[in-house]
Amino acid sequence: MVQLRPRASRAPSSAEAMVDEGQPASEEEEAEHGLLLGQPSSGAAAEPLEEDEEGDDEFDDEAPEELTFASAQAEAREEERRVRETVTADKTLLKEKRKRREELFIEQKKRKLLPDTILEKLTTASQTNVKKSPGKVKEVNLQKKNEDREKGNDSKKVKVQKVQSVSQNKSYLAVRLKDQDLRDSRQQAAQAFIHNSLYGPGTNRTTVSKFLSLANKRLPVKKAAVQFLNNAWGIQKKQNAKRFKRRWMVRKMKTKK
Amino acid sequence: MGEFKVHRVRFFNYVPSGIRCVAYNNQSNRLAVSRTDGTVEVYNLSANYFQEKFFPGHESRATEALCWAEGQRLFSAGLNGEIMEYDLQALNIKYAVDAFGGPIWSMAASPSGSQLLVGCEDGSVKLFQITPDKIQFERNFDRQKSRILSLSWHPSGTHIAAGSIDYISVFDVKSGSAVHKMIVDRQYMGVSKRKCIVWGVAFLSDGTVISVDSAGKVQFWDSATGTLVNSHLIANADVQSIAVAEQEDSFVVGTAEGTVFHFQLVPVTSNSSEKQWVRTKPFQHHTHDVRTVAHSPTALISGGTDTHLVIRPLMEKVEVKNYDAALRKITFPHRRLISCSKKRQLLLFQFAHHLELWRLGSTVATGKNGDTLPLSKNADHLLHLKTKGPENIICSCISPCGSWIAYSTVSRFFLYRLNYEHDNISLKRVSKMPPFLRSALQILFSEDSTKLFVASNQGALHIVQLSGGSFKHLHAFQPQSGTVEAMCLLAVSSDGNWLAASGTSAGVHVYNVKQLKLHCTVPAYNFPVTAMAIAPNTNNLVIAHSDQQVFEYSIPDKQYTDWSRTVQKQGFHHLWLQRDTPITHISFHPKRPMHILLHDAYMFCIIDKSLPLPNDRTLLYNPFPPTNESDVVRRRTAHAFKISKIYKPLLFMDLLDERTLVAVERPLDDIIAQLPPPIKKKKFGT
Repeated sequence: MVQLRPRASRAPSSAEAMVDEGQPASEEEEAEHGLLLGQPSSGAAAEPLEEDEEGDDEFDDEAPEELTFASAQAEAREEERRVRETVTADKTLLKEKRKRREELFIEQKKRKLLPDTILEKLTTASQTNVKKSPGKVKEVNLQKKNEDREKGNDSKKVKVQKVQSVSQNKSYLAVRLKDQDLRDSRQQAAQAFIHNSLYGPGTNRTTVSKFLSLANKRLPVKKAAVQFLNNAWGIQKKQNAKRFKRRWMVRKMKTKK
Repeated sequence: MGEFKVHRVRFFNYVPSGIRCVAYNNQSNRLAVSRTDGTVEVYNLSANYFQEKFFPGHESRATEALCWAEGQRLFSAGLNGEIMEYDLQALNIKYAVDAFGGPIWSMAASPSGSQLLVGCEDGSVKLFQITPDKIQFERNFDRQKSRILSLSWHPSGTHIAAGSIDYISVFDVKSGSAVHKMIVDRQYMGVSKRKCIVWGVAFLSDGTVISVDSAGKVQFWDSATGTLVNSHLIANADVQSIAVAEQEDSFVVGTAEGTVFHFQLVPVTSNSSEKQWVRTKPFQHHTHDVRTVAHSPTALISGGTDTHLVIRPLMEKVEVKNYDAALRKITFPHRRLISCSKKRQLLLFQFAHHLELWRLGSTVATGKNGDTLPLSKNADHLLHLKTKGPENIICSCISPCGSWIAYSTVSRFFLYRLNYEHDNISLKRVSKMPPFLRSALQILFSEDSTKLFVASNQGALHIVQLSGGSFKHLHAFQPQSGTVEAMCLLAVSSDGNWLAASGTSAGVHVYNVKQLKLHCTVPAYNFPVTAMAIAPNTNNLVIAHSDQQVFEYSIPDKQYTDWSRTVQKQGFHHLWLQRDTPITHISFHPKRPMHILLHDAYMFCIIDKSLPLPNDRTLLYNPFPPTNESDVVRRRTAHAFKISKIYKPLLFMDLLDERTLVAVERPLDDIIAQLPPPIKKKKFGT
């Protein structure tokens, strides 16, 4: 008869699996186990191999353990209950976390906005001004930079007049930041277009020094070039050399002393 | 005249900004010029091409179009999407209206002057109505696919030509719809990958539309049928600007190679009535792109990236063939950008966004006339002061003792106190400047550095007392009658009693500083004042005007001096009156009351009032009197105007002490070396 390597029985493996949750349960099982194995051990996961081997030895000599149906059923039910409990506990934990984060975000957002009083005033004022300024809804966004820039800038006089009717405090100017970003990016795109069409690829441009040296080339007596030195050549090399020289001087001074 | 040691200063790295747009106004014969840094200058072409007014620039303003409207109103539009109106009386910007179309590329005023058309980045053409105090948006025309880069009205005001990328559209003004769309070839009879940008369009009254584009072509289109009539290839690079004369018999175009071409409507044969457009004259006065041209009734005006403003009178249009018909090239500024502290030998240089303070070097060597002496101590760059904010600096000044620096932008006024310990310098800002001091046109310190005089752009003149580290506002002289000019100049006498201010067209006002009231007014002269100074002991006010006249007025006597009357009776030498550039600085010798030292961009002159005046037949410029002739002849040829042209181009020249002069030069090559790249030219044999 082939000696089949006995499989690890269910009891010790289940005890290992539930070692962190159901400590008393495992102990109970261990106690039961211990009756069979003659090993009163708690924390079965600490020495699983030895136990298996010993269990194997025990199992080779003795008959398999006898468990009543009721106890097995009870065990199974207990397991299920425990599993369900952990799952629900996890779910509630996640829910709580999410709730807390949402509250935090709402608070931060509230902190960013102005107090309700000013917002109310502005919304009522903008409704009355809607006819005067078609297609431009203003949101208030206090920015110190804009205020400083617009204070003395006559070109923004139009916007100042619109805000003055709203608030008594005339020291700031409300500008919609999104519009500002859009305007800047459009201006940059326009300047990039001009630069590209005049100086970009496909244009026949040359440097000023080459341009001025053209007249020089046909003179009977050649003069020096307008930009005789190229100061931008080898900048990194020159900087390294300077640093090295400084360090060398310091070392020389030290050794001299 | 005496022997002087001259400090030749070439470390003022002055680079003017390129010219972007030019607009000519026929009624007042004035030219508005806008530069790439946002500055707008107004030149009076009848006052010897002198720069009368200017509006300082701003970093975010990139003007792309400038135009005059009815009633001498000046409008500009730029890439920040706003249309700005300039107030020529109060010298500030009246208002700015956002066009809501993105960056604005072109603007044209209607022939009647009451409507304004604007071409935007998003392809829309917007019509604005010009009301007496503002502009009002009227309506949008049909929106096109690409940005509208050039606009032109038909002289009757019924149609509009708009140039875009690869096509030109003709709109009907009443309905606002596009009547024709003319596709422009990308290359002259060929195919090219690069898009063809229509840089300029012009609409003539017979329905011809002239377009210039980036392929180097000038094309004539018929707007009734929307077809191409004629095409000229004139350059290998872009043709960037076009301007048509009022009579519509000639127009001028400017190319990126720096050439300006003149086209004229010429009869086909000498006695036929049929005419055709012929390219008549090329002018090469620029080295870089010519981005803008204008056509006045008698002259062609061009300006571009190489910062020169060139005015070329047309010989066939000029009535009298005198020096007025010569080419005028305006390169150097018409006002002083440098101030000097004589006691400490410091120079303050004014740039657009920063100030530099330099200390002059010194030498211990001596030599003969014409020697270059080696420096024992080099010039020192003491301070680099950057201005806060995007606005340009309008004016600046350093006190004669060297302890105060003041400068002004449109919105703020800055005053700094300097402390010198051994070789170090420390700067402290005086905070809380009063609001009425901002936007100053001219700042001047008194000789003993206790008072500060500020001329604001409203015409008011403020006197501020300086003491220790603080200041106190003493008095404000209110504006007098007459139109305000931007070339407001101040001069203060060395004893601190008299202050002369030329800010209005009513003449130069002289104020008594001790009693704080108006003393007298020099009679008005029809040319603007370019430089002014008060002599140390005699308190004579010397005024130079833009037509090169120099007057001397005695302040205590309240009348012109005898010498001035003699000069006016005899008149100046004709070569003196034919000088191109205005006199920008006048100073005096402390020990020689008969000498007046003045300079313009290409010469400096010492006027000796004790010597006889030259008449038109004597040689004006005689640097070395003939030594082998007899004494009698030498005495006969010597005259009052001792001119030296050794140091040029001069930006500033002053007397530091009895034996030293300082001359700040700016060679043209140094300016050209810092300009953007030009178009490559192929020359035979290179």
